Amino acid sequence: MRFRFREIPDPRTATIRARPIVDLVVEGLEIAPQACLIDSGATAVRLGAHVAELCGIDTTDAAETRLAVGGALVSARMAEVSLRIASDEAAHEWNAPVWFCEPWMPAFGLLGLTGFFDHFEVTIAGYDGWVDLKPLDR
Amino acid sequence: MPEKPVVRRVTIAGHPFDLRRSDVVRALRGVDPEPITRHFVVVGSRRFPPKQVIGQVTGLDRADFTSHQARRTLMRLGFSAGRRSYTPSSPQPRAAEQHDRLADRLREFTGEWVAIKDDDVLHASDSPQALVGWLARHGQKADSVFRVPEDDLAASGLAPL
Repeated sequence: MRFRFREIPDPRTATIRARPIVDLVVEGLEIAPQACLIDSGATAVRLGAHVAELCGIDTTDAAETRLAVGGALVSARMAEVSLRIASDEAAHEWNAPVWFCEPWMPAFGLLGLTGFFDHFEVTIAGYDGWVDLKPLDR
Repeated sequence: MPEKPVVRRVTIAGHPFDLRRSDVVRALRGVDPEPITRHFVVVGSRRFPPKQVIGQVTGLDRADFTSHQARRTLMRLGFSAGRRSYTPSSPQPRAAEQHDRLADRLREFTGEWVAIKDDDVLHASDSPQALVGWLARHGQKADSVFRVPEDDLAASGLAPL
């Protein structure tokens, strides 16, 4: 599945920046796929706690972990959820642990090593501005 | 000297109305825009279907006037109007062309949560809950939901541990 980089306005200037962002359907919430940044520096998949609320995922009994996200300490609770990514030609669905974080400052979800990079062979062509995701059959 | 507000006398569906631009803006405050099928007008930085605006301002049944009448009336009051650049029945432009335009248009929604569909901002809200609520109420499905980054921190991943 190939995706063009998403172009977003630069908050500081009048320019536009392109980022490897894909849309993730969480727990079947098809009406609102969550834009997520592919982030090899993240150890796992991190989303805002509001996503769990929107999807009806109850994390109250999950153990609370303190994480540093974007330079801030946040409270995170993990749940195993279904995730889906689709292009015009194909789709892939898998289950993965996701840490739902509060407060959540980033504008996008973060797709990290556990739960994302261990499910796809990821090729990023920064110059040409596309990302290729090949699901791994395991 | 303050500028005198423009009052337009218009007849819609046989009923005369004296409309001011400020009346329209006031009437639309706190009103959620409905999904745009083809034409839109911009009121207070938000896009509305023209028939929704005229229906809201005049109280008329929307079946009593056309989208063209509504759009023409609002343009005479000084509101900008436009047409969706892509509809499911028209050829889809190349992705790069779509996003060039979309990225520029997103700037006016900085800090807000947006739902994107094709080349359009379907809706924007202060919270993701309000945004998804709007999608559900209007039977809409977005391609993507996110907050338009307001600073570098929001725009970057910054490698969480």
